[in-house]
Amino acid sequence: MRNIMRVLLATLASALLLFGPVAATPAKEAPWLPEAAAYRLTLFLGNLEPLPWDDIETAWTEPYRGSEFSVGVLAWLDRKSDIEPDGLLDAIMREDLQAVFAEATRLVALRIEENLDRALAAEESATAQLAVQTARELYRAFEDGIAAADPEAARRIGLAWLELNSSTGSAGVLGAGATSADRDTMEAARAVISGYLAENYLLDSFAPRRTLSALPETAVLSGKAIEVPPSLPPGSDIFDQDPLPLLVLNFEEQGIDETDLPLVAYGDMLFDSAQLFGSPAQDLGIACSTCHNRSDVNQRLFIPGASHQPGAIDVDGAFFNPIFNDRRDDPLDIPSLRGLRFTGPYGRDGRFASLRDFTRNVVVNEFGGKEPTPFMLDALVAYMLEFDFLPNSMLTTDGRLTDTTQEAARRGEEIFNTPFVGLGDRSCASCHVPDANFLDRQAHDIGSVAPGYEGARAGALDTPTLLGTAYTAPYFHDGSLPTLAAVVDWFDETKSLGLTEEDRADLTAYLETVGAADEPYEAFDTENTAFRLAFAELTTFASTIDTLLPRRDAEHILLLTDTVAADLSADASTMSNLPARPEVYALAERLAAVGAAVRADDWKAAEASWTAFKSEADAIEERAF
Amino acid sequence: MPVHLTRRTILTLVGAGAVSLATPLAAQDVTLRLAFIPQENPDKLLGDIEAITGWLAEEIGVPVEGFVTIDHAAAVEALRNGDADISFMGALPFVLAEAEIGAVPLLSEVYRDAPSYTGRIFVRRDSGIGALADLRGRDIAFADPISESGYLYPLAEFVEAGLVEGPGAAEEFFGRVFFAGGYQQAMQAMAEGLVDAAGASQYADLLLTPQQQAEVTWIAESAPIPSHLVIARPGLDTDLQARFVDAMLRLNAPENREKLRYLYGPDGYVRADSAAYDGVRDMARQYGLLR
Repeated sequence: MRNIMRVLLATLASALLLFGPVAATPAKEAPWLPEAAAYRLTLFLGNLEPLPWDDIETAWTEPYRGSEFSVGVLAWLDRKSDIEPDGLLDAIMREDLQAVFAEATRLVALRIEENLDRALAAEESATAQLAVQTARELYRAFEDGIAAADPEAARRIGLAWLELNSSTGSAGVLGAGATSADRDTMEAARAVISGYLAENYLLDSFAPRRTLSALPETAVLSGKAIEVPPSLPPGSDIFDQDPLPLLVLNFEEQGIDETDLPLVAYGDMLFDSAQLFGSPAQDLGIACSTCHNRSDVNQRLFIPGASHQPGAIDVDGAFFNPIFNDRRDDPLDIPSLRGLRFTGPYGRDGRFASLRDFTRNVVVNEFGGKEPTPFMLDALVAYMLEFDFLPNSMLTTDGRLTDTTQEAARRGEEIFNTPFVGLGDRSCASCHVPDANFLDRQAHDIGSVAPGYEGARAGALDTPTLLGTAYTAPYFHDGSLPTLAAVVDWFDETKSLGLTEEDRADLTAYLETVGAADEPYEAFDTENTAFRLAFAELTTFASTIDTLLPRRDAEHILLLTDTVAADLSADASTMSNLPARPEVYALAERLAAVGAAVRADDWKAAEASWTAFKSEADAIEERAF
Repeated sequence: MPVHLTRRTILTLVGAGAVSLATPLAAQDVTLRLAFIPQENPDKLLGDIEAITGWLAEEIGVPVEGFVTIDHAAAVEALRNGDADISFMGALPFVLAEAEIGAVPLLSEVYRDAPSYTGRIFVRRDSGIGALADLRGRDIAFADPISESGYLYPLAEFVEAGLVEGPGAAEEFFGRVFFAGGYQQAMQAMAEGLVDAAGASQYADLLLTPQQQAEVTWIAESAPIPSHLVIARPGLDTDLQARFVDAMLRLNAPENREKLRYLYGPDGYVRADSAAYDGVRDMARQYGLLR
């Protein structure tokens, strides 16, 4: 249930070599230069099947999603470079992936060279530094490939960039502190970088690639199997939404402490654990809560090639688990899990009667995880069954509007309950049954799904609840309708309901009232911070060790310590109380020590570290913000 | 009125036409020109400048134009030759600009409740380096030679510890001294193991990934450094100066705080206290930057 907003910059986040457990804590990347971004997008999209050629073309013609640059690569090159992208555009037009790879690789390498030329030719230090910085940022497009294949070369080149920047000199301020450029050192450092580029990226032809990556050509030719750590391309967004949805857990509302519900607490941890999934989701820190943050939806989630719009994802595409790739471009709007125990069957088309079966399918098939143990599935289900709908004081328990609601909404309620010929003499309420949480647990084909083939009878979808929907736009399985008003219009038009403009406004007001909540979002302040919430949750997760240690349950303890120690450490980066950060790092190490002892089968040491963890966690709780 | 911008140092100009009718100055041809220094992407800065100059124009009642200079030095030159009236500036370039051209401090940035911060010496936690003396013969990356928190103040810690004789003698103590180009680059070089230490702002570790942040620590912290400022050229109309300062201070109001992100993202501004920069003046003298 925890997955908090990250606000830090990390230029090389995507190029990091990741060791050990990965935290479900994405790092915000520094902006990519347009051509480096397009290159990274091309590598990512080029590995998808079927290949999204339109997206590849867009990667080079338009700014990437969320780019700080207002223009795409072509306009950018026109402004900044003498390099002509004709060969690349031609290769894209011909849909020749190997040629696209070769042309794109050369283009980025040439751009680095162009900027290195400028740096060397610059008379002013500031101009040279700007060119070096630009070249360095372009080099980032290749960096993870070089680091994976040849750490020594990566280090040599890293030092060369430092040398190069250092030797550009400084203009000082009005002459004070001015130092002149050291041309010889600049030349020598440049030679290190350019030599490597010439051998690996600035080539007339490249060996055929089965998988596109930034691996240097010499590494590919060596035939060695080298894994480049998975990364998401520029334009991806796996951060939690802001404001963060409020989580309503049934037991919590009743005043029951989660630490007294070890199975639920363990499930809560799993819901937040990337360890549950296989690569690449696990490497990228993607967990259940990445899409379903706080049991709700993550409206900002976007992965190029897998999302057609924010808040949608194709979980049976090529990226997460190729064996489960259905080869259909059918991203779904992420559904809310609020009130999950009332919303079965599961899946947009209700294909799973059992939440347990559905969950296993998500873990194993959609995200390539190992077969979860019965304990893990029990825990996940136990936790998810605690998800409650958001309280809404404008609704009675049987789903009628209270007297305090607006006139328009009350008129809308009448329309909602009125049978229409266009609905087969049924009303909206026939399926969205007010005293059954506004759903009927059945699948209906309302004509919202385009048939996949002629004669297909595959358009029936599970009736979704209307509760909490004021905060889960857009609507319909594919997120094609942006507002509740658009949903009303859609029904009015496609079902010939014959509503007047006022009727539509009233019905919309009703839906907005039903979908509203007293308190939809988490409220944070200077001390009740996102980190405090994370800290409370992570220590609660850890509390299940009290149950698992006496059982000597190594497998589940390790899954927990790997997840929670990494998350606690990574989450410390979001603390506003910076002086307390080292204590949180030490606490995370304490938990990692529990795991290390269990791995070594030293249960006594594990118990000692666990006891120390508990007392240290109590001691720093107050400063954990 | 357009600014005559032929100097190579000035990259781009953004004009804000919006002018409030509320309290126009008598001289309608007055335009306030602000110089900005790019920290990352000049393209983004242009959008930010447009947003903030538009707001300032309405608040002050005169047209406000903003332009991006290549660095601090270029901004100071723009102040000197009248291309800019006001500029955003680091503490060190400010004291140099003050000495050379009589630049006037107007506002200081506030971060985390203070108009000051520190410089630190960062190392990797697994490096075994626990004290400044351990860095003898080892490599260090600083941000920039004209950076108070990214060079002067962190280096002064070595001088104070008796390890470095004085400015200019750093090479004798360290293995190699690099200027990486910025905090982030210096920190990244340290985190990746290209160098053994980095000298940078106390907050510079926040520029690393969460995982990297857990892997680094700091072994020395400098005296407080007064924060970056907003400065004016000498001779700028005092009434216009006052209006500008008042408008900038209104950015501290809750309803305006959102706009601070267009201005390098401080938590707010306070009126600059010139005496607070005495330490920087002393430091600049020690380094031979100031007579």
